[in-house]
Parts: sequence; C-alpha cells; structure tokens
Amino acid sequence: MDLALFVLLLVLIGVVAGLVGSLSGLGGALVVIPVLVIAFNVPFPEAAGAGLITILATSSTTGAAYVRDRLSDLRIGMFLEIATVPGALLGASATVFLTHADLNSALLIGLGFVLLAIVPGSIARRQIELPVGVVPDARSRRLGLSGDYHDVALDRGVHYDAGSTSPALGVMFGAGLVSGMFGIGAGVFKVLALERYLGLPMKISTATSNFMMGVTAAAGAGILFSAGYVNPVLAAPTALGTAAGAYLGARVLPGLRNRTVRLLFLPVVVVLAVEVILRGLGLP
Amino acid sequence: MTPRPPTVASPGVDVRLPLAAYSRMTFVLRAGLVSSLTILAVALGFYLVQQPSMTSEGTIGSNPALQYLNLNGLWAGLVTGAVPAYLTVGLLVLVATPLVRVLSGFYYFRRGGERAMAGVTITVFALLLVGLLLVGPLVR
Repeated sequence: MDLALFVLLLVLIGVVAGLVGSLSGLGGALVVIPVLVIAFNVPFPEAAGAGLITILATSSTTGAAYVRDRLSDLRIGMFLEIATVPGALLGASATVFLTHADLNSALLIGLGFVLLAIVPGSIARRQIELPVGVVPDARSRRLGLSGDYHDVALDRGVHYDAGSTSPALGVMFGAGLVSGMFGIGAGVFKVLALERYLGLPMKISTATSNFMMGVTAAAGAGILFSAGYVNPVLAAPTALGTAAGAYLGARVLPGLRNRTVRLLFLPVVVVLAVEVILRGLGLP
Repeated sequence: MTPRPPTVASPGVDVRLPLAAYSRMTFVLRAGLVSSLTILAVALGFYLVQQPSMTSEGTIGSNPALQYLNLNGLWAGLVTGAVPAYLTVGLLVLVATPLVRVLSGFYYFRRGGERAMAGVTITVFALLLVGLLLVGPLVR
C-alpha cells in the first residue's frame, strides 16, 4: 500500500479510536493495537509502542482537562504512580524479552485475554456515586490521602478519605504491568483499585485514573522507545488521530452517555480480542 | 486521624496544594501535547514528501528512527535535517511531558514541606529516567 494512503488510514483509525475511547472511557489503544496487528500485520511490539504513544496523546488531552477542573486527586495519583511505574517498566521489559525469544504469539494471546478481562470489569462498574464508611489506613493518614470537592450534580461539598492503600498498590502494580506489556491504558484496573480499595467517589476515581495514565504509559513507552520498538511512522499518525478524536469526544459530543457508548463498544472489543487470540494461535 | 480540611465551595480536591499546582500541571500537559503533535505533524508531512515511492510494507518492521535513539545520532540527524530525527524529537517530547509533570509535583510538595510526598514523586521521576535511559537500551 502507498505510504501516504497508509498514514491517512492510520490517522482515521486514530480519530475513531480516540473518539470511541474517550466517549466510552476505555481509551483508544484498545482499538489501535488489535487493528494494527490484524489489518496491517504490524509486529506486536511495534503495535504496543504505537498504543502507548496514543495513550500519552489522549491522557494529555483529557488528563489536562480533569487537572484544570481540579477533579484529579494529584496527591493520590502521584502516590499510586510509585506502583504503576515499576509495573510498567517490568511489563515493557517482558515484552522486549518475549519478542527476542520469538514468543510474539504468546503476547498476542495474552493481549486477547486481557481485552476479554476488561469487558466484565467495564460492565460491572460500581454504580455508587459516593462510598460510605471508608476507614483510612495508617499510610493513608500519614500521607494525607483525602480530599474535598464540590459535586455539581449533588450541589454540595463532598469529603473523602482513601481507605486500604496496600491492596490498591498491588492492583496498581498489576495495572502498570498490563499497560507496559500490552501497550494499553489499563484504566479499568486502575479505577477498580481507586473505587474498591481506596473507596474514592466515582468522579474522582475516573479523573485520577486518567491523570495517572500518562505517567504509566511514559514508563512503558520509554522502554519500548529506547529498545527501538516505537516506529514514528506508525506512532505519529495514530497519536495525531487519537488526540483529535479524544478532543472531539470531549468537546463536540458531551451529551452522549458514557455507559451507553461503552456497552456499544464492548462487543467490538470482544471481536478484536478473539481475532487477536486466533492470530496468536496461528488460526485464520 | 488527619484533621478534616475545610470543604471548598468550588472544585478542588486537595486544599493543601496551591491552585498554581493545578494550573502549572495543566499548562505542562497542554504545552507538551501541542508542541509534540506540531513537530510530529510537520515532520510526518516532510517524510511523506521525501519518500514518494515508499510503501506501508517497507515501513512496518523497519523503524527509520533507529539510528537516532542515542544523543550523538539524534544531534547529528537534527543538524543534517534528517526528518526521522525530528519525528524522534516529537515522540521524545510526548514521552517527556509526564516526566515534567511529575517533576512539577515534586516542586510543589517540597515547597509545601511535605517530605514524604516529595520523596514519592522524586522516586517516580527517577524510575522513569532509569527506564528511558538505562533499562530500554539494556534490553534492546
């Protein structure tokens, strides 16, 4: 295929991925990586590298808006990055080692199962806006992991404390590992840790997860970049497209319900996951 | 138990951090994104003009930026006007943006006398640098 046409296609895929990813809250890399592998036969580590670059672009777009609106808890986000970053470093290193060992098929099968694991987590997301009875542990109290915000929908100030930090750090390490290894944002796992273990309100969890996404992706992208697996001719157009798509999703279509888009988008993720697993198994 | 900070009337989850921390980080993220995407868009346009006969098959699996992954190679590429070197710079700016954000977090925690959180942020920054400068080239 002509390179200019290929680049144009990548930009368009990026726009769609960024738009759907931002509207569903699942991120654009979930679409970009499987499409690169399935449609264009891109080797897995290069697809993962492009995926991490798209996350960097989208997280800077949406993350900046959450920080501007002061909905991201900077303190909790930066505290948890101490777990996601080593996880991402380990995950990206594992991808490089597995590629050198000619185990790309194992990575593809792994990616497929991670994509499938995201589906139930996305559907069964907790519906409680404000958690009650959260007891902060000693570390949470020592670091002052608590905050206040004005909830516009409830029209009142809300105070929250972060609960159990140890299991949250464990889940965050796992989220970082998955992110670095497969090039995805792993936001579902991060939100799980923030909501279930720290007991943060839904809005703060979403905003803080987005805030952390860029640093986690930078850790994984740094490894793949210096190992030579971030091809700029693949990564640049997808990054440009997803940033534009994420911007459109945030600005032009704010009326669409996040959950509705997510439920429409999840069957596509399932199909892509099955395709990736079949590709990994060497089946048509 | 930590004394409860007063509930703020406007959005702002952490009253111990100055508002400047939020605005500075927003600026860092936006400036990094805009500058990196501008460099990438312009360099990609030049790359397409310079490679009229290149195909997607020739691009996939052959990274044109490989020789620019060290400082000497990158500098030489920039001086000679090699387009892949500029694409590499665009990607580097995008990767470096969260690092600068972490560093600004360290600045505000240190200024506020929060030694534990300052220690956490500088550790994260060090880990990111180690990944980019040591682990990546080591596993290459």
